[in-house]
Amino acid sequence: MVTELNCVTDVVAAQDLIEQSGLAFEDGFDDLVGVFENNELVAVGARAGNILKMFAVEPAHRSGDLLGELVTNLVNRGFSAGFDPLFVYTKPEYATSFEALNFSLLASHEQVALLEYGKGLKHWLASLRPLVRPGHNGAVVMNCNPFTLGHRHLVESAARQVDNLYLFVVREDNSVFPFEVRERLVRAGVATIPNVQVLDTSHYAVSNITFPAYFLDEHNPVAVIQMELDLNLFAAQIAPFFVITRRFAGTEPYCDVTGGYNEAMKRVLPAYGIEVVEIERKRSDQAAISASQVRALLARGQFGALAELVPATTLDFLCSAEAAPIREGLQRNRGRH
Amino acid sequence: MRIVKKAQAGTMQSSDLMVFVEPGDELSVEIDSTVKKQFEHLIRQKIDQVLAAQGVTAGMVRVTDRGALDYAIEARLETALKRAGEA
Repeated sequence: MVTELNCVTDVVAAQDLIEQSGLAFEDGFDDLVGVFENNELVAVGARAGNILKMFAVEPAHRSGDLLGELVTNLVNRGFSAGFDPLFVYTKPEYATSFEALNFSLLASHEQVALLEYGKGLKHWLASLRPLVRPGHNGAVVMNCNPFTLGHRHLVESAARQVDNLYLFVVREDNSVFPFEVRERLVRAGVATIPNVQVLDTSHYAVSNITFPAYFLDEHNPVAVIQMELDLNLFAAQIAPFFVITRRFAGTEPYCDVTGGYNEAMKRVLPAYGIEVVEIERKRSDQAAISASQVRALLARGQFGALAELVPATTLDFLCSAEAAPIREGLQRNRGRH
Repeated sequence: MRIVKKAQAGTMQSSDLMVFVEPGDELSVEIDSTVKKQFEHLIRQKIDQVLAAQGVTAGMVRVTDRGALDYAIEARLETALKRAGEA
């Protein structure tokens, strides 16, 4: 029977079992469950938000269906807590065990595989079918926190080089500007460029699922693996659907993670027939325009200087009453995103 | 009966299935099964039959099956529907 592991001795036993299986024990889970036999922990698994992970079964007990029991329990807990869809991170050699439980493989990498429970990706793509355009198409994925003249320059340059440009706005709400505002400012900012389709990334690109390190830790060694997995998913599942043959990015002089992501694009995407095009950042006076610079000026209330960095559509919002909580938040706490 | 809230029933064990139901404007049934190629039509037939017997005309039904027999399909779906129909 699957039981919740709450007390310290159980958690320590879980950690041992997980580490013996060659996995890293990561704190910060919502559920940790296991199966005991003769008072000994023989199987364990965990859930953090919509990610299931840290599955380990003691070698002598692997012939049974303990994995199915653990996953059932964690899926039930996840759905009850309102998380849908659910994902699992596992070693590539275990991907088929999860496929047998009706998970579908999203992306695989030398060291890790990402699977989804249910058909979220398929439904998401199906909902976007009306936006699919024929031709020689490109894509750009941007957080736009908030939309600047730099973003505008990137989108304009990219749009000139393709028949249609899909502009994916990062959906995940880990940024100072909420998704709904970021998307609105993007739409307003690119409205005059006719061959641009604005859409969002859902869970499937630069999200807490595919690339959590983007939002967390600049120097996390797993960031490189996550980036490549994120790009594998983009190249294998998203790009073919939209017939995307070019992915655009701005050169990245400031942020290590984003710079690393550009490098990862050049490593991963060409193998899938997708050309990576880096576009030189737009400069204002001497420095390249960046959204972090915009946030710093906004925190100091320097609206005059902002007018040189953002389009009127963004500036109007930054000065508005609606943006007051964002301005106050920035004054209190200045984060990377 | 009407599906008024999200509910689920079943397990991922072999020979069982998991059923998820949630409210929706129209009736949709989505089936995932390890034996989909051979038996999807029979699973669907069973599900449609239970939905009709319960008078369900709207909602989203998702099934992930690992080779359950039709008694199990009927029992799991009925349970999920009863849970989804209670206010």
